[in-house]
Amino acid sequence: MLDKILSGNSVRVLVQGATGRTARRHISMMQGHGTNIVAGVSLRSDVTDIDGIPVFSSCGDAVAESGAEVSVIMVPPDAVLAAVEDAVTAGIKLMVAVTEGVPTHDAIRAVALTRDQGATLIGPTTPGLVMPGKLKLGFLPEACIRPGPLAVIARSGTLSYELSYRLAERGIGQSFWVGAGGDPVKGTRFADFVPPLKQHGDTSALLVIGEIGGTDEEDFAAALLSHNFGKPVFALLAGSSAPEGVTMGHAGALVHGKSGTLASKTAALENAGVSVYTRIRDVVEAVQSALPRQND
Amino acid sequence: MLLLEHDAKTLLAEHGIPVPDGFIVKKGAPVPEPSCPPPWMVKAQVPVGGRGKSGAIKKVVALSGLSTTVAHVLELRVRSFKVDECLIEQAIADAEEYYVSLSIDPNRCGVAVILSSEGGVDIEAQPKDKLAVGFAPLSLESLQEEIRRLAVTLPASTRETIGDAAEKLARVFMSSDLALLEINPLLSLPDGTWIAGDAKIIFDENALSRQPFMENLLAARDTAYPADSFKHTHGFDFIVLDPAGEVGLITTGAGLTMKVIDELNAENVTPFNFCDIRSGMMRGDPARLKLVLSQISEGPQVKAILVNIFAGITNLGEFAQLLIEAVRTADGPRVPFVTRLIGNAAEDAARILHESDLPFLVENDLDAAIAKVVDLAHGSEADNA
Repeated sequence: MLDKILSGNSVRVLVQGATGRTARRHISMMQGHGTNIVAGVSLRSDVTDIDGIPVFSSCGDAVAESGAEVSVIMVPPDAVLAAVEDAVTAGIKLMVAVTEGVPTHDAIRAVALTRDQGATLIGPTTPGLVMPGKLKLGFLPEACIRPGPLAVIARSGTLSYELSYRLAERGIGQSFWVGAGGDPVKGTRFADFVPPLKQHGDTSALLVIGEIGGTDEEDFAAALLSHNFGKPVFALLAGSSAPEGVTMGHAGALVHGKSGTLASKTAALENAGVSVYTRIRDVVEAVQSALPRQND
Repeated sequence: MLLLEHDAKTLLAEHGIPVPDGFIVKKGAPVPEPSCPPPWMVKAQVPVGGRGKSGAIKKVVALSGLSTTVAHVLELRVRSFKVDECLIEQAIADAEEYYVSLSIDPNRCGVAVILSSEGGVDIEAQPKDKLAVGFAPLSLESLQEEIRRLAVTLPASTRETIGDAAEKLARVFMSSDLALLEINPLLSLPDGTWIAGDAKIIFDENALSRQPFMENLLAARDTAYPADSFKHTHGFDFIVLDPAGEVGLITTGAGLTMKVIDELNAENVTPFNFCDIRSGMMRGDPARLKLVLSQISEGPQVKAILVNIFAGITNLGEFAQLLIEAVRTADGPRVPFVTRLIGNAAEDAARILHESDLPFLVENDLDAAIAKVVDLAHGSEADNA
């Protein structure tokens, strides 16, 4: 399903948790970005439609009636696992779970379930993904989105906002932009994006925004080598001054072990030919000098 | 959230896991006589490993030496952590030391299981053939099955003890939403029983609302876990990084804030705090901003405040109004504010801040805002020199 999205084909999207205050606002903003939202799912029985979008009580009903292929999950943290089960059972092949604060054991079960069923889960704790001008799943801010040749993959949503905003200001837009998720447990990791982005004709370079903790960056570096990625890759790493033992809001940055340090990530990425930076202005300059400026 | 050893052992005891008799002594409090006979262990309660090597774990053989040792340990600093309390517990003699750990493996999406009959030392320094390493999906049955499979590879004399311990620990791991449960050493006694000598537990704070024991623990021990307690009470992150920090941060986004902290440190400016204020959750109420301002006012060296908000949805004009209201009414620090607001209605926000009579320095570019804050932090130093 990710390949279908990358190819620019239209997909039919449903939103789980569609009747929430925030979800309603995001639905209209996603529609504003060209997203074809065909159904909502909600446990509330008193709402049958939102601005003309039919609302169902389960993904099974929604898929049967609307032909939805992709789901955006906007339910509270404790309801995410059940939402993923509902979507997978209904045959949904790609889910974007924006919810923050999902219990880790639930996230493990949700990811294991999607892997077993051959489905793709992006998130949780992700601002979503965007194909600029064509499709938005989630809530990446419009001010940062601009079509272009650079694929952006990030663990931190807000740090990717800053980078995409600055690059867009300088005339460099995105071919594809995804928040892989800020938690340690995530459905789709950096390494998983390497094969589809290698094939993606509209992507001529890749910016990866990582941080200390975990092994996502190290495994991504290994995937670049094993897939012979062949396009320029730039990395910005956050957390060079993070205090030990403090989680700083992102559980992903939990540093209790020896792996996952800035040094180990930098070494692995550089070994795979990635240009690694720790300061925002340096990576912005590097990307800018490597890619031609687009005209407005 | 990494539990302090005493709290980890309280959780284990709650689930019927044997732990040594012990109690906590806080800095400045009298040291009562333990009810169990000596020797005792005096162990600094800090959320970081390597306590033994830092001299933060001491053995005391007689009551006469207890107060002095406790006083000594309470004066220590273990890596960056000041010791505020220590655990006094029964020292266990004549025990063999084993190792058991269960930990979430986020990449493989399950639980890593490690058993060893050679515990007590740095587990990473063990030769690989001394470790039984396995993996199980996240379910009690799968974990117990994997533990039984691994136990077979251990020396026959230790198999039963380690296997029994691991199966009981698996139940705690599953029922308490743990990300890590490590017992090292697991003390095996001559009579065939075992006891958890030390315990390192990482509890998943996202599961707080369904773990009443942990919720109560956090409420009762709020000063031992200031950052977790703050987040649970107020719904957003605020962590004091350095009480002598020079720049206060009012920022959104954990990753972007982490990077702003990196950038300030690279300019030799020390941030006072980490913060992820979640502007979208304020709902027209300046309470959150006032709380952050009063927290920052605790920093005597703070010379400037950086406000960096990257908002997808929040109306920044409204945010600017709330900020002005908070600065006027909060008992906050009287220092300049460098603001950098990007997103919805940023122009309104800039105008509103400009027109106020408060010390707002409005910037549109993050590098420029950081440069201004750095100047303010350094400039004040020069004035004092």
